[in-house]
Amino acid sequence: MFEAFHEIVTNVSETILKYEKELNRPVIGVMPAYFPMELIEAAGGYPVQLWGNNLPIEKADAYLQSYCCSVARSVMELEIRGISHMVKAYAFTSLCDTLINLREIYRRVFSKPTLELSIPITRTAIARHNYLESVVKSVTAGLEKITGNKITPDSLDKAANLYGRTRALQRRLYRLRCQKPGLVKSLDFYTAIKSGFFLPGHVYNRMLDDLLQKLEGLEAHNGSRPKLLLSGMVFDPLAIHKIIDESGACVVDDDFANGWRTVSKGDLKVANLVEGITDFLFNPAPCCCIYNPDNDRHPYLLNRVKESGADGVIFWYIKFCEPDAFDRPQLMKQLKDANIPVSFIDLELTMTNFDAVRTRINAFCEILEK
Amino acid sequence: MTKFDAYHKMKELLTNYYVEAKTTKVKPIAWITSGAPVEFLYAMDILPVYPENYAAMCAANHQSIELMDAAEADGFSQDICAYARTDFGADITQGGPAAGLPAPHFLLCSTNICKTVIKWYEVIARKYDVPLFIVDTPFLHDGLTQELIDYTVSQFKDLEKFLSDFTGKPFDRDRLREVLLLSREAAGYWQKMLQLGKTIPSPFNSLDTFIHLGPIVTLRGTQECVDYNKLLYEEIAERAGKKIGSLPEEQYRVLWDNLPVWFKMRRLEKFFEEQKCTLVVTTYANSWGQYSNYPVDPDTEPYEAIAKSYLNVYINTGFENRINYLAGLIDEFSLTGFIMHSNRSCKPYSVGMYPMQAELTKLSGKPGVVIEADQNDPRAYSDAQVETRLEAFVESMQPIDEVRT
Repeated sequence: MFEAFHEIVTNVSETILKYEKELNRPVIGVMPAYFPMELIEAAGGYPVQLWGNNLPIEKADAYLQSYCCSVARSVMELEIRGISHMVKAYAFTSLCDTLINLREIYRRVFSKPTLELSIPITRTAIARHNYLESVVKSVTAGLEKITGNKITPDSLDKAANLYGRTRALQRRLYRLRCQKPGLVKSLDFYTAIKSGFFLPGHVYNRMLDDLLQKLEGLEAHNGSRPKLLLSGMVFDPLAIHKIIDESGACVVDDDFANGWRTVSKGDLKVANLVEGITDFLFNPAPCCCIYNPDNDRHPYLLNRVKESGADGVIFWYIKFCEPDAFDRPQLMKQLKDANIPVSFIDLELTMTNFDAVRTRINAFCEILEK
Repeated sequence: MTKFDAYHKMKELLTNYYVEAKTTKVKPIAWITSGAPVEFLYAMDILPVYPENYAAMCAANHQSIELMDAAEADGFSQDICAYARTDFGADITQGGPAAGLPAPHFLLCSTNICKTVIKWYEVIARKYDVPLFIVDTPFLHDGLTQELIDYTVSQFKDLEKFLSDFTGKPFDRDRLREVLLLSREAAGYWQKMLQLGKTIPSPFNSLDTFIHLGPIVTLRGTQECVDYNKLLYEEIAERAGKKIGSLPEEQYRVLWDNLPVWFKMRRLEKFFEEQKCTLVVTTYANSWGQYSNYPVDPDTEPYEAIAKSYLNVYINTGFENRINYLAGLIDEFSLTGFIMHSNRSCKPYSVGMYPMQAELTKLSGKPGVVIEADQNDPRAYSDAQVETRLEAFVESMQPIDEVRT
């Protein structure tokens, strides 16, 4: 059922090249996180999301220190090695200090155009609105220049429907996983989600639709396997999901920036684009990178654990993400205080030895089974 | 360090400041980032306390490791900023030279130095259950725009309302203007003092300016800060006039980019002296000179000028601006080379340093070196590695006498 998704994730370049040719649209590389794909689609671009891969870092070291974010180093490596050659331009958000500077490095080192959706995190509503208005204007103008197409109300509307449907389908997959623990293996699940990073929206939606139809008639054989919720920025490396599957645990929910935090977003409201993008950035799931005390991660995460029926939470730390690392101790303490078992794993995208992580996951699952 | 008479005055000022902060029963305490608009606090008689300054003091006193250990034992990763870890540890143990900081009544943070401060202050806000006000100053990829200025001004107006609600008093704009003038004057002296580094030989070493930063960071907006910086300026101007150099012999003149390595000040001072190399200018100390441009005109609203100052912070600007600024300093200060401190604890300063070094060397024609270190964590520092790189760098420079002839 998931073979086609695995095929895409293991052949990313071929997939993108195939659809670039088919669509005849410029490929826009979308950096982490929350840049609305809708804007690129509406401008006639082909958005692909870049969250790095497991290729060893050989050339990016000359630009990014070893203490820099694993994702930033990986996407830079892909660009330097020419693997991202089909990407014509890059879309950033001002998610963190590293990504802000990464855009500057790209501007100095490469010749491809870049643009940034600067996320205003002030609590002063009018200031946020006015500033975001200017940002949206600049981003749309930048995209129009890159693609040579005007963004129209009609193209925005179609794009909002397309990607709104993508996330709605993904939410169905999330619901299914939660309602029938064990039905979908974690590796298959995240491979299916990850495929959406590279496929054109309409192709991906069709595949998801087919998958859901097949899955919805099936029953899970869960038994009494421990149920997990995973929390972190990035659900890679996928190899860890294989370890989870082998441990006998079932993932029932997540709090990944490129997982539920994005999937949970409703349709982009394009009638008032500034309001729509504000809502898109700040709601409904909170993120460690976007300050929003109205939507605090503490009650939110506790609530998700309860709603999902998870027996325990694994904090999934991709080095060297400071926003994620700052939040972790207080979040873990809060969950422990609520008698929810927690563990954390320290990861790099390029890691090759998983023994320590395997031991940790297995030990945690054993505790949950007791 | 160069023995300036003003040093004693600075010690007295900072001691008094910390004593007041630790003992006041009258003034509310706000924890504030080094790049936040402190003038609004002084205008409302709120005492600002700077965790960054305290963390640096802890490291300079060689206490940061034990404090970071305490924070790490509490679950904080070694991957987060060492200033934050030091302060978390100081808060847990009530450690460091002032036995911890007084508990805050609220927090004020600005993103012009990094976005990491948001996370740091969120942790503190949760712990103490106090409000956090953020002045968001987006990164200037392409310079200042009116939209950015308006965005920031709008937040200042909201900050006034926040402070008024917090204190139960109307915001005192007349007092704000007075405080701004005091900031301006102190920063003016600080800036003039730093410019004296252009003298050959330099009358100070930038390691001195790191030490003497204390008042312009923590007391900016007070008369004491003005008086102190005037005193420091006059003393250094006199030395410059008499051509008294910081080193017995100055062969090399270099720029330091990024924060100091607080726990290695003495050793680095000795190292540079042996190499006959003076650090004459730093982007870090220069950052506090920018507050010298507030308007004096009592009829003009000051907000736009404040916004420009707080937005246009070196590390909040794009690389083109940074490289041109650094090249300008190399030229103006007759430098023979530059050192970039790749600081594990400060991503905005450090990420991109390698390509910047290459570009700057190409543009200025001067050699540069990147050293891998940390502002506060001695465990991320190797004397041998740093000094070997620096020795090779010094060998690659042309002495100032040869450059001038």
